Formats: sequence, structure tokens, C-alpha cells
Amino acid sequence: MMCFPAARYRLASMLRSLVLGSALIAVAACGDDKPKSPDADQLVTAWRAAKLEVSPLTEVDAKTYAAVSCRGGTVSGVDVVVCTYGSGEDAQAAQDIGLTAVGEVTGAALAKGTRLLVVMDRRKVDPSGRTIDAITTAFRK
Amino acid sequence: MRTHIAALALLVIALGTAHADRKQSRFVGIHPIPKAQGGGICHIQAPHVHVYAPVDVKVQYRDHEGWNHFVGDPVAYGWDGPKHSYYGHHPIAVDVVVGDDHHDTEYCYIEGPHYHAWAPAAELKLELRGGAYWYVGDFPTAYVEGKPTYDAIDVVYQPIRYERPVVTVEVAPPGWYGAIVVAPAVVPVREVREVRPARVQAGVEVHIPAPSLRVEIAVPSVQIGIGGGVIVSDHHDHGHRRGGKHGRGRGHGKRGH
Repeated sequence: MMCFPAARYRLASMLRSLVLGSALIAVAACGDDKPKSPDADQLVTAWRAAKLEVSPLTEVDAKTYAAVSCRGGTVSGVDVVVCTYGSGEDAQAAQDIGLTAVGEVTGAALAKGTRLLVVMDRRKVDPSGRTIDAITTAFRK
Repeated sequence: MRTHIAALALLVIALGTAHADRKQSRFVGIHPIPKAQGGGICHIQAPHVHVYAPVDVKVQYRDHEGWNHFVGDPVAYGWDGPKHSYYGHHPIAVDVVVGDDHHDTEYCYIEGPHYHAWAPAAELKLELRGGAYWYVGDFPTAYVEGKPTYDAIDVVYQPIRYERPVVTVEVAPPGWYGAIVVAPAVVPVREVREVRPARVQAGVEVHIPAPSLRVEIAVPSVQIGIGGGVIVSDHHDHGHRRGGKHGRGRGHGKRGH
């Protein structure tokens, strides 16, 4: 294919812009290496995709978890609470609070980004842990 | 907010942990459920708590950052998920298995063919042959130090009837050191060749198997040692075992050369 000098210059300029743009996008994507925090609605979608039965998540007293806000409900009969914190460090620090909230049942308290997921099998509906595994796996992805 | 969380966390630790410690046991990864609790396997891979203690914790579990990690054969307890066959002792990259950043190399001391739910970490020298993974790297001193405690794990599995992986012994790769475990069955007689004793720098006696070593077995349930079992290599990996109930130091550096 033959190109006139002006057209060739424009093509080279476009290519340079494209490469630069791609590089900027890549840098922006790589620069944020903090774990992404799935919000409660994203989690509900992920849990439903895993064929789990999710109840509406309603507001829960955030003071119990020293959080900014919390929402709770059940996933296939297992109690879940999803809390939001001001920082990832706060969410990490709240894991012990979550485990205390689990109390004398099987459960988990996992932080990811600024979110904390607390899972509690209060009704003993999940003796093999398959449901809790699906709940926590979706959260950790 | 952070001060408030820290204060609440301290309060929880002060008031609640004694209560939680009394009732909760921490696990990470799948593990057997005690028979008294219904038996079978707990499928939760993430860090979690139960209100029962791990069974045979001394040989079947390793401490990973305060969490009990099961290193035994889950198939013996009814695991029906993904499984991988292994033969003999081998290292385990616990951090890779559980998916966190706390570098932790432990060792599996199960003799003969057995299963784990995970494939070995790529950086470990485990060779896939005859349908099973065989460890062909050197064992560090941490492994040797753990043997008196963890070798007893085979006693746990002796009474359990389950289908172990079928592995053809003849395919053991060069560089593998261990014991051939023969199932209770009549095995054709084969040629036996000499096993040469040798000494290594640490003063530990090892037996280096001659090339193309073959074993003569005609008695059921026989366990025959091939090679010397261990090569002590102090120059690497000895810092990998971490602190915890066995007094290990935090690991760093590369693993499994």
C-alpha cells in the first residue's frame, strides 16, 4: 500500500497516541494494587450466580462491628453481614470483632479492601461447609 | 474511627478472646470433621472457626499464622473434590495452598501413595510420573527435625479403609528418596540390586540407590526402604519453617530448590 507523506504522518501520530493511551491505561490499572472491595449488591449477584439463595440484605447496627455501615441477611440459610470501613486497615482490624460475633457456631470473618464479610451458621444448616465455602469464595474472588 | 476500632478490638480481645479461645478453633483450608461432630470433611477453604478442636492435631495439622492447616489425606475422610496423587514425603507450600502472603513451607510425612486436594506449587521439585507427584529435591534440616513428630501420621491412616492412588513403583524418578510401600497383595518377584551406603557432610548416613534399582517383594504389607531417605542440605530452605507451636522461625528466601 502506498501512503502520501501527510497521511503517513497522521497514521504514525495516531499510532503513537494509541500506544500512549494504552500505556496510560495499563499504568493506571497496575498502580492500584489494593484488593478491590465488592459491595453488597455485587456480592448478592455473585452469590446468586453460585446458585445460592440470597435474602434481601437489610441494615445492621454498624457499632457491633465498629464499621461505617453494615448490611445483613441470609445466604442459603447461613447468616451473613457485610460491613464497610473507612480503610483497609480498619477492615483488617475488625476481623477479630467479626470472629467474636460468630460466637459458638461455625463461621468466618474475612476482610477484603474496605469490606468485612462475617458468616455465621447459627442454624447449623451447613455441616459440610459447602455453602460457607461458596459464600467466602465469591467474596475473595 | 481508627482509635475507636482499635479500642473496641482490644476490648474484644481482652473480654472475648478468652471466651472465643475456649470455644473456637481456627482452621484454614479443608479438614476432617471429628466423628463426634458428624464426621466427613469440612469444605471451607477460607480461614474459619468451629467450636470443636482438630483431631490428631499433632501430626495432621500445621500451624499457619495461628490457624490450623490440615496436611493429611482428605480422601480418607470422604473428600470428593479435586485431588492429586503423591508418593512419599514432600514439601507443601502452605501459603500457596491457602492463597495468602505468609510464606510457609511444611512437609508431608505420609509414606507411599496418598492424595492431597491441591497440586504442588510450581517452584517445588515435584515430578509427575506414573500418575503421582514425587519429590526429587533435597530435604532440608527442618524436614529432618520434624520426622520424629510427624512420621507418626501413618499410624492415623492404618485403620482407615479407603482407596489410595494406584502408582506404579517402577516409575519412581531418579533423585527420589523414600520408602516403597507395598499394598497387601502378591507382587511378582523382581531383581534386587545393591544399595550403596554413603555419608554426607552433616554426618547423616544415607543410602544412595543404584541406578535402575529394582525391588524384590513377595510378602504382603511389606515396607521397604529404598535409598537413605534424606539428604541434608543446610545451604537452603532451612529458614522456611515458621514460628508457631513447634518453635519454627519465619521463613524467607526461595523454597524447594
